[in-house]
Amino acid sequence: MWEQIRDNQVRSVILVTFMGILLLLVGFAIGYYFFGDPVLGLIIAALVWGVMNLIALFQGDSIILGMSDAHKIGPDDHPRLYNVVEEMKIASGLKKMPDIYIIDDPALNAFSTGRDPDHASVAITSGLLDKLNRDELQGVIGHEIGHVNNRDIRLMMLASILLGTIVILSWYATRIMFFGGMGGGGRRGGSSGGGAAQLIILVVGLVLLILAPIFAQLIYFAVSRRREYLADASSALYTRYPDGLASALEKLENNDTKVQTANKATAPMYISNPFYKGGSAGNDLFATHPPLAERVHILRAMSGASYADYEKSYKEVTKESVIPGSALKETAAVGLREATPGAQAGELQDQLDRTRQTSDMLWKMHNYRSLNCSNCGTLLRLPPSYNQPSVRCPHCGFENPL
Amino acid sequence: MKCPLDKNDMIMVEHRKIEIDFCLECSGVWLDSGELELLVGVLNAEGADLHLNELLSKPAGQGKRRCPICAHKMNKIWLGKGAKILIDSCPLGHGMWFDAGELQKVLREMEPAGAPANTTVIDFLGTAFQATHGKDSKG
Amino acid sequence: MIFASIIVAIIIILVLVFVGIYNGLVGARNGVKNAWAQIDVQLKRRHDLIPNLVETVKGYMEHERGTLEAVTSARNLAQSMSNAGPADRAKAEGDLGSALSRLLAVVENYPNLKANENFLALQEELTSTENKISFSRQFYNDIVLKYNNMIQMFPSNMIAGMGGFQPSEFFEVKDAGEREAPKVSFSAPPKTSS
Repeated sequence: MWEQIRDNQVRSVILVTFMGILLLLVGFAIGYYFFGDPVLGLIIAALVWGVMNLIALFQGDSIILGMSDAHKIGPDDHPRLYNVVEEMKIASGLKKMPDIYIIDDPALNAFSTGRDPDHASVAITSGLLDKLNRDELQGVIGHEIGHVNNRDIRLMMLASILLGTIVILSWYATRIMFFGGMGGGGRRGGSSGGGAAQLIILVVGLVLLILAPIFAQLIYFAVSRRREYLADASSALYTRYPDGLASALEKLENNDTKVQTANKATAPMYISNPFYKGGSAGNDLFATHPPLAERVHILRAMSGASYADYEKSYKEVTKESVIPGSALKETAAVGLREATPGAQAGELQDQLDRTRQTSDMLWKMHNYRSLNCSNCGTLLRLPPSYNQPSVRCPHCGFENPL
Repeated sequence: MKCPLDKNDMIMVEHRKIEIDFCLECSGVWLDSGELELLVGVLNAEGADLHLNELLSKPAGQGKRRCPICAHKMNKIWLGKGAKILIDSCPLGHGMWFDAGELQKVLREMEPAGAPANTTVIDFLGTAFQATHGKDSKG
Repeated sequence: MIFASIIVAIIIILVLVFVGIYNGLVGARNGVKNAWAQIDVQLKRRHDLIPNLVETVKGYMEHERGTLEAVTSARNLAQSMSNAGPADRAKAEGDLGSALSRLLAVVENYPNLKANENFLALQEELTSTENKISFSRQFYNDIVLKYNNMIQMFPSNMIAGMGGFQPSEFFEVKDAGEREAPKVSFSAPPKTSS
């Protein structure tokens, strides 16, 4: 177990180190260009990075969970969700039960946050909770617990803070340069004349400032891609039912309500604005990379539930390798289980019940008062602000006294 | 949730396991996208042939009212193949809004001819709000 | 002098290795204990749920008295073996699992029962408990495998012998029983048109 986690980390840490070097280069270029002194630029880069870290450290979980109207739930609020999380906690061998949040949002998403496995939270939108049957929910929660257990969250937090710092620094630097910033660079001309050599360094610095954010984002995607695949493999191993997650991902892909386009529109903000995405270290269930269809394909082609099975299936689809060697030799063969019966047959009915269960909980949390019309039985829910002595049932017209 | 017309808090009405927001003030109805999808599923299971995309086509320009969820200005769209009813729909797909007047007018128009298949949504809303059926003449 | 310090260094290294392996063994043994406790919690939970289930179901299924009694007696037998070893317990619990699955298969024939909210809540709890049992069993067996390997492999086997570490039993439900693990289903097909 430990070996596998360490091995996982090594590759990702190398990539994150590259991002660190990139940040240093950006600082260097800024210092050289604007102040004629690279050290000053490095100090600025370090300061911005430090501030970002502090913000992330103090507000990490709370900022995203608070921002997105998240409600922490207990076993009685939503038994199925709580049970499924507990099942995955047991299967993964986590020591502590993660906190569970429901976000009142029709969009389909889930993520996990927290600085280490003992302080983890799992959050899911009410939209996704409505859409998924039990097996699918288990697959999604398995994926999130996989992130927790693979120590992804802290790493991704580090990576996204670096990314954010690089983006912000080079954004401001290039803007200042292009719009009247030339005066600020007065000192650059004053330095001892190196002629052509200095010009080359300036050009290289400029190119670096423009390209750095793109490189940083590519590295970030490389890290997150890998973590997503690994979390999928973990989910398959924990649930022993890769089809569950595959089917959940298909639902995300085929989601034809327009809500998803809203997500796509705001997606760039998530990536480049570290206060939103980076600070939270949220591991989005479907961060645009890697492609959903490919993940589904790999999961569907698995003939067992072990890491080795995932690796085999991954190789068939991509001709590459994703699981670290130590994890492969460690796990014994793990068989697949059957689908939970009934979950397929009554999909619509099940979805209706799921939706009512979730919304019931959310209305209670918003302090709505529920009553059944005493004439026709239609269920009415009244907002806390409702203060009339009676309410007229829109279905049958009966005046219900309160 | 606030009514897009008069900003009152709406109440929820649950009819055949579908939840609908209803404004007691103006008898307008808000149908959430998730609930709309469920509704279409239920009606299709009963033999209707509805497609969400078709239901929400034919935009006829932007209206003044704002979506109660995202506060974007809603689009005016024609509902159904018959293009009988002009309703407000959130451009981000959060849901759609039926004015009481609009809804009842169309319901009445349809009564003699018998409702064609693609107006099943309106039928459903009609039975959900039977009580508001008759009193709309004043509005 | 050099020779003496090399000897001392070797002895120190050996002691460190010994302590390291010994602590590793103790850690693994505690891990096995914890994993076992986790199974135990879930098995007890299942024992607690069954009387409730039988009580709820009884009124609806007069004709299934035999099935119900089989579940109750299997549950009582399993409970009486609460302090037995993993292998014996696995057998009793496996029988209980089979009896339960037969009961829950019959439930499909009683639509009224499936509309009962009390029963639906119980069904969710029971499904989840079954899952938790099988997940914690899987986790326990993984840990036992590693611990037993440590005891049997060189060089930790020498220290295990000296420290009196015994291999642990696996918790294995027989394959046939596992295949027909309780089929708890979540919903009736709508079929409103019929």
